[in-house]
Amino acid sequence: MEPAEDWLVESLRLYQDFHAFDLSEATRVLEWIGDKGVFVAGYESRKKNEILHLTLPFRLSVKENQGLFPERDFKVRHGGFSDRPVFDLKHVPDTRLLVTSGLPGCYLQVWQVAEDSDVIQAVSTIAVHEKEGHLWPRVAIFSSVAPGILHGVRLSSLKVVDLESQKTMYTSGVSDSDELSSLQVLDAHTFAFCCTSGRLGLVDTRQKWAPSENLSPCPGSGGGRWCAEVGGRGRGPGPHIASLGSDGHLCLLDCRDLSHPESSVQCAVSTPSPAPELLRVTWAPGLDNCLAISGFDGTVQVYDVMSWDGMGGQAEPLFTHRGHVFLDGNGIDTAPLVTTHTWHPQKPRTLLSAASDASLHVWDWVDLRASC
Amino acid sequence: MPEIRVTPLGAGQDVGRSCILVSIGGKNVMLDCGMHMGFNDDRRFPDFSYITRNGRLTDFLDCVIISHFHLDHCGALPYFSEMVGYDGPIYMTHPTQAICPILLEDYRKIAVDKKGEANFFTSQMIKDCMKKVVAVHLHQTVQGDYNMTPDRHLGAAWIDKCRPNLLITESTYATTIRDSKRCRERDFLKKVHETVERGGKVLIPVFALGRAQELCILLETFWERVNLKAPIYFSTGLTEKANHYYKLFITWTNQKIRKTFVQRNMFEFKHIKAFDRAFADNPGPMVVFATPGMLHAGQSLQIFRKWAGNEKNMVIMPGYCVQGTVGHKILSGQRKLEMEGRQVLEVKMQVEYMSFSAHADAKGIMQLVGQAEPESVLLVHGEAKKMEFLKQKIEQEFRVNCYMPANGETVTLPTSPSIPVGISLGLLKREMAQGLLPSAKKPRLLHGTLIMKDSSFQLVSSEQALKELGLAEHQLRFTCRVHLHDSRKEQETAARVYSHLKSVLKDHCVQHLPDGSVTVESILIQAAAHSEDPGTKVLLVSWTYQDEELGSYLTSLLKKGLPQAPS
Repeated sequence: MEPAEDWLVESLRLYQDFHAFDLSEATRVLEWIGDKGVFVAGYESRKKNEILHLTLPFRLSVKENQGLFPERDFKVRHGGFSDRPVFDLKHVPDTRLLVTSGLPGCYLQVWQVAEDSDVIQAVSTIAVHEKEGHLWPRVAIFSSVAPGILHGVRLSSLKVVDLESQKTMYTSGVSDSDELSSLQVLDAHTFAFCCTSGRLGLVDTRQKWAPSENLSPCPGSGGGRWCAEVGGRGRGPGPHIASLGSDGHLCLLDCRDLSHPESSVQCAVSTPSPAPELLRVTWAPGLDNCLAISGFDGTVQVYDVMSWDGMGGQAEPLFTHRGHVFLDGNGIDTAPLVTTHTWHPQKPRTLLSAASDASLHVWDWVDLRASC
Repeated sequence: MPEIRVTPLGAGQDVGRSCILVSIGGKNVMLDCGMHMGFNDDRRFPDFSYITRNGRLTDFLDCVIISHFHLDHCGALPYFSEMVGYDGPIYMTHPTQAICPILLEDYRKIAVDKKGEANFFTSQMIKDCMKKVVAVHLHQTVQGDYNMTPDRHLGAAWIDKCRPNLLITESTYATTIRDSKRCRERDFLKKVHETVERGGKVLIPVFALGRAQELCILLETFWERVNLKAPIYFSTGLTEKANHYYKLFITWTNQKIRKTFVQRNMFEFKHIKAFDRAFADNPGPMVVFATPGMLHAGQSLQIFRKWAGNEKNMVIMPGYCVQGTVGHKILSGQRKLEMEGRQVLEVKMQVEYMSFSAHADAKGIMQLVGQAEPESVLLVHGEAKKMEFLKQKIEQEFRVNCYMPANGETVTLPTSPSIPVGISLGLLKREMAQGLLPSAKKPRLLHGTLIMKDSSFQLVSSEQALKELGLAEHQLRFTCRVHLHDSRKEQETAARVYSHLKSVLKDHCVQHLPDGSVTVESILIQAAAHSEDPGTKVLLVSWTYQDEELGSYLTSLLKKGLPQAPS
């Protein structure tokens, strides 16, 4: 118990606020609904999994007099049951619908969050014709009056399907069999893809397939599995892509010129990642130039990309969240692995992180560089 | 009679006025009698008129069981027993019996003195009510407001696989996922530390019993680790009372506290000292634990008045404050308070509301249901619409029925009570000695007498029963005559009867005795000549009452006649 106690005392200095929860089952999903609620879902293959809509403790949304709000708990607002593991969950904006993906990967499940009760009900499925063994389709949502579901297992099977009519609105039309690792919708007509090989692209759905792409994965790295996210700013004004490899390489590219990466670093993690499918890189919505990574161990690391120079050097994280390592109260031998993390949409330094031991943390880290 | 009927009388949505009526085994039991803290009118009491509109409650209710001393579970007890009227037994554990009257009296004082309530129960009523209390041990009743993670000072609730017909649980917190205890303590330490670091003073109003001891241990450990020098004080009144109660109930507390108590006196801390009212004026940082908990009077209010004007200071309220108290006012955000003599106190100090309350959450409730293994689950204190998911979860995971009645709604649960009956060894041996053991497809009929002694059932042989009861045994024997056409001698007829029955009744013991009679089990068949007609033989079939069934069957079988004898 000693290291845990030491870390807790340290945490007084490191965190402005810190909450630790135990879910009944671990989640790989943390999807926001507004800025007051998140969805989590189980991913076990042998039993029914729960999908839960949790509302954050009220004190986190209060602007002043936070001290007068003693409740620090999550509330389960809605719940539902899934027969199969849930690996990805997306909320369709401005609706009460959710889309989930898991194994077997031949269909996506659409859910409805009830208005007059606390139940999340399965309503329909979207067929993904290829059944690919252990591969499952990635999902992103084109939000509009008629939402479109972007999904695919490989570049060749990329499609946009109208949610209501289930008609295919767009297909990639290529035969490239590169396996997809992430999909991200950027605006009404553009989306970004990242393949497990590290191949990145930005696609305009109004044109026939002609994405702007990078030439090869980040220089200085060899193979491994990649994921990426578009967000933030680097040296240029426009959006950038941060690309993370299972060998610990983190690469920064300007969206206007994917062929020449701006900078890259080797993250301070033990490599390779024991679970490359869980790799995650996210841009902070409220901070310039900050991003977070997870998927290597029981930590979440925050980096400031402006502090990088050149290519391939070692980078020190601005902050490392070690809560999942130290608060492992279950006494299981294997150290927990962070399965996913996400930034709070409003509070600049607040993140949520979940781990394989079913823990869920909400933490507000202190930027120790700030002098005042 | 084998049904269990449950009717909640308490509030549907909020936590408060816990009160459940249960009819079980022919008895009517009231579980808890709580007060709803949020209301000032009749809504704060359970609706007792549901129990009986005209009759006396004492006639209808067999007993009242109080789970624990929180006011939302026992707050309405004096009102119920003394103002509405109930004279039957009230069961609760020893600690609850000790603590209940204190909390009730505190609450009464605040309600009457602070809020000026008129129609409230009096101190004498509390005393009279407590006279009706019968204290019991834990294996006789179960703790309420359970928490599966051990509180620092009380043991965790742990239920053996008791497999009840019904488990009644509050669902209010079943949709909550609680922040870990460590994080709540961390928040407390952080607030105290920050205040002390900037030279401020921290006031923590506490009740004599409750979190105070826990928070002290926490601070002591922290002070030691971080090597802090600011003094921590604890008012002596608190110490005495607390020590007294802990000595009484040491068996109810958890291991850590027990060890602490045994190794040293509860309050022999290194860094925590007894408070003197003069210390409140000392310069520099300090932390003080003082009573009472809601800042409504006494030392804590005195200190509050001295420190309120400085924004470097902090007051940490560790629990719920009743309306009308200063505690309640500042927790509602009030920054200007009117004190006696129309003096206005400006509150510049930081106000922090921290909840260390001990309710379980979703995970805890599921764990409890899993351990107890009930046949059915009943949820109270929740809105049906908001409980649908929990109901499904419980039904799926444990494969039990889950009910959610509204206030005044009755749920009837059929039960199949199993009554164990002991069988006397003598009887069992005798039956087995008769040969041919029963099989699943062919059960055997066993005759015995059921005796109810004390609260157990025994199946014994009739002879033993008669002996125990001192009665004489009478034998009942039936005899029937069956006429057969047979001109042969009786002995031959008897032999025919024997071979016929032997072939038909393969499962029974058929014997041909030397005197010519035939027996089937204990049934005797004798052949005799007809007095007038030589062509007719009369079979005398006689059997005891016990073999009535077989006897009747044999008679009808023989009446059908015998198969033709081979010539």
